[in-house]
Amino acid sequence: MPIHEKSLIRPENLQTHDELVLDGVDVSGHWSTFIQSRVVTDYNEALEDEIAGLPGGEYIHRCWQCGSCTNSCTVNAINPDFNPRFWIYLIRMGMEDELLRDKDIIWQCVSCNKCTYACPRDVVPEGVMKATAHWLELKGHRPKSPSILFDEVFSEQVFATGKIEEGRTLRGFFKRSGQPLMQDWLVEMVKRMIRHLPLKLLTAMGLANLVRPRTRGWGPARAAIEEYVHEQEAKQRQALGLDELVKAAERNVTARNIADAAE
Amino acid sequence: MSKPVLIVGGGPAGLTAAHSLASIGQKAILVEKEDRLGGAPILSGYAKLVPSGEWAKDAIGGMVDRVAGNPLVEIRTGTTVKDFSGEPQNFTATLSDDSTVEAAAAVLCTGFTHFDSVNKPEWGFGTFPDVVTTAQVEQMISSGQGVRCPSDGRKPKRVAILLCVGSRDRQIGREWCSKVCCTVSCNLAMEIREELPDCHVYIYYMDIRTFGLYEDLYYWKSQEEFKVKYIKARIAEVTSDGEKLIVKGEDTLVKRPITIPFDIVVHAIGMDPNVDNLLLSSIFGVDLEKHGHIARASTYGAMAATSRPGVFVAGAATGPETIDDSIAQGQGAAMAAYADVCAVKAAEE
Repeated sequence: MPIHEKSLIRPENLQTHDELVLDGVDVSGHWSTFIQSRVVTDYNEALEDEIAGLPGGEYIHRCWQCGSCTNSCTVNAINPDFNPRFWIYLIRMGMEDELLRDKDIIWQCVSCNKCTYACPRDVVPEGVMKATAHWLELKGHRPKSPSILFDEVFSEQVFATGKIEEGRTLRGFFKRSGQPLMQDWLVEMVKRMIRHLPLKLLTAMGLANLVRPRTRGWGPARAAIEEYVHEQEAKQRQALGLDELVKAAERNVTARNIADAAE
Repeated sequence: MSKPVLIVGGGPAGLTAAHSLASIGQKAILVEKEDRLGGAPILSGYAKLVPSGEWAKDAIGGMVDRVAGNPLVEIRTGTTVKDFSGEPQNFTATLSDDSTVEAAAAVLCTGFTHFDSVNKPEWGFGTFPDVVTTAQVEQMISSGQGVRCPSDGRKPKRVAILLCVGSRDRQIGREWCSKVCCTVSCNLAMEIREELPDCHVYIYYMDIRTFGLYEDLYYWKSQEEFKVKYIKARIAEVTSDGEKLIVKGEDTLVKRPITIPFDIVVHAIGMDPNVDNLLLSSIFGVDLEKHGHIARASTYGAMAATSRPGVFVAGAATGPETIDDSIAQGQGAAMAAYADVCAVKAAEE
């Protein structure tokens, strides 16, 4: 194919047709390869609002595209495709398809916050990365990341008992992230703990696994925390219009059921 | 009684020069070609001024009032200067009504002319009714009508402001930055967002030059509080699909062509040299600088001097200028002219 800059063209934008006739001209086959235009034809103003509705994304509208975040980025130094400046721009202009092309690397932010201290406009790019990764998960574009799964197991335990018990957290995390419990390093660690730790401590640890200690009088605190978390989650779901989607789906199901029953 | 100072032009600089002279007991003759005083802010119906936020009709109106009621200032509206001759401290001007006036000195406060957007036909002004200029948006706001699409009066949902229309453009012989349009555009964008919160405003820029203290007061504020969006792109053309205006260009930050629909496109028009400058140059015998503005003889030494002794210049006649700087220059030129008046007095004594 006589396209010299082919490497610059996205493969999905190269189109050939086995049989295509345009205005009486046969343009079938390899020698009539079409390059699909990459023109931006509209802005989607909702996307910025969605990201701004998630924790960390509040200040995205301040960005003036200086590139300080990308310049200072730890991950960008290793992977040049990791470009917070660019993603912030895509979000602000509502170029959702373009953003989704990078859905598998956006979550890689290591939260070193160098960008946070470099940003002259206090956009808090690290927060925007967090919000964007969160958005990708809430919208179903990405499975929950291991760190989110860990956070969930950890938080659920704290909410439930007011305490953290490491063994339980680890088991919960492995289970939820689909990892086997019998991992070599863990087996080795437990063996050595049994060998070297004082008996009293070992007994306490073992007991804690069985009886699940709780903070005394935790009930009201737990209720308050759960109420707050529920509120925040509802707010985020609203910002992303997730409840409307669910309701619409439910309405469809109900309508279908009624229709089925009528038949 | 000493001879008056001739002031040409009744805008912010000329009004200030006249008031300054009158306030120290010196007579002035204020010649204005239009039939009312106030200059561009009044004649073009500006809305709220930068940086005070005062309405132009109040702020400049107050400047007009204090001059109009002053017995030391003789106002000649609807009048131009036809001929100007003589030496410093002893000039004679012939006006368009054939009267003559004696003057000790002259101050040219002849201002600028708004760039005429039809000179950039690719941006659709004069072709599509919903392509307007910043001056027109100012008028929509100052008249109380609000920002509406001229074609059918509807409220716009999306507005584009194109910066550097008639500025920084060698293709049309305008190689200067008009200095105020960035700040004015930030200000207008905020006013649009305030009046129409559902309307999104996009500013297409090459650089943002909200110089000095205007940076955070206008540029940052418009982004941070009013969520105005800035896109680094010089627009190629403005067309229409029959319903919406279509803005085409390259979004330089994503290296991507754009064709975006808009309801209104605003040209942030620049400040041309006054169209009469060649005439003024020959009548008053003053040189013009490279771009066609009235040349200043000295940057640091003689305040407000032109190439002709005894003839001074202030405000946007010297190049794109803000209102507050025009006012400062008007006062400075009055001071310089008064020195010539004092020389006449000394000679008489």
